[in-house]
Amino acid sequence: MNLSTPPSAVFPDRLRRAREYRGLNQAELAQKAGMQPSAISHFETGTRKPSFDNLRILADSLDVTTDYLLGRVEEFKALAGADRLHRHYESLDGSDRKMADELITMLAKRAEEKGKP
Amino acid sequence: MITTDPYAFATLVAEQIVKGLGIVTLPIDPKGIARGRGIDVVAKPMENEGVSGMLVRYDSEFAIAYATHHQNEGFENFSVAHELGHYFLPGHVDAVIAGDTGSHASRAGYSSGDKYEAEADRFAAGFLMPRHLFFPALEKAGSGLAAIENLAALCKTSLHATAIRYTQCTRDPVAIVISRGGIIDHCFMSEAIKNVDGINWLRKREGLPRNTTTSAFNKVPTNVLHGVRIEETSNLQHWFGGRRSIEISEDVVGLGRYGKTLTVLYDIDVPDPEDEEGEQSLMESWTPHFRR
Repeated sequence: MNLSTPPSAVFPDRLRRAREYRGLNQAELAQKAGMQPSAISHFETGTRKPSFDNLRILADSLDVTTDYLLGRVEEFKALAGADRLHRHYESLDGSDRKMADELITMLAKRAEEKGKP
Repeated sequence: MITTDPYAFATLVAEQIVKGLGIVTLPIDPKGIARGRGIDVVAKPMENEGVSGMLVRYDSEFAIAYATHHQNEGFENFSVAHELGHYFLPGHVDAVIAGDTGSHASRAGYSSGDKYEAEADRFAAGFLMPRHLFFPALEKAGSGLAAIENLAALCKTSLHATAIRYTQCTRDPVAIVISRGGIIDHCFMSEAIKNVDGINWLRKREGLPRNTTTSAFNKVPTNVLHGVRIEETSNLQHWFGGRRSIEISEDVVGLGRYGKTLTVLYDIDVPDPEDEEGEQSLMESWTPHFRR
């Protein structure tokens, strides 16, 4: 992914690829995700940008990671890792950064436990 | 006059979420709603001032940490709702996730961070004070600072956030001013007062008008720290200039550890332009005109 490419710009293509791989049409995915039928089309044409909430639901419906849908990894089920995960990380002071790191570790453990068969 | 608000959609998104959750009473509980969505909500230690809130993500797992050093439930609720804004608003993935190098700073200039922060603030206001619940409450809340205090108690929001929302929702001509020392930090005017002809709009970073209660109030620092509250009268001209000398109400309260003062200007009974015109011609008709 090019640095100048925002995650939401990668998302339309990733969503379409994952949907087609799972053999779903747009209406079927919309139904599975509890969204309006037109929403998937809007996401795939890039006319509507996703929220994190949308991403979570779509990733769950397609059995891929949100990291895949955001173009941060190349495989459907891969995770991007624990760094660079939140806003203004670079400018956080020591105690905030420590807390963010602890939270990330906790979330990572949970994500990995969920990912176990 | 029609004003366009570039962030109005963020308020709408928040209000739709509250409606979608079937919530019909205030207050809205942002921590409970976040937890119901599977998002961890964690209080930062009191001694850790730092940022007011942060959204942390690991793939599909999320956590929100919020600051507690203000010891103000309203401030905490707003901080959590602000972070929920980053979670629920379309396009905020671009603000939260850094680029390929791992450095958020490296993306400086890509897009204004302020835009995302402003959107999240507007989301938080709409989330905690959605119009379908706030309007009916506003009708019963009274007027001036007392109304804002009643609404803040009902919504469990800070006086500051409630005052801003009050100006957005009231039909009355009202202005709120947040000041520090002799300077206007920022101010918000209701649509009704923006539509009054012949007055100057209040501007942030301007000096406070000297002959006002607020100006005298701010000269005593303990007024702010101890949350002193006064209700006074003022004059439209003192605050807004123009040619009308009309008595208005000026309520003032110190916002404590926040270090700023909230002023509410209301009871602004400006005559209709048509009535004013009629009065002017009536005066003209009674004024003797002498031939030179």
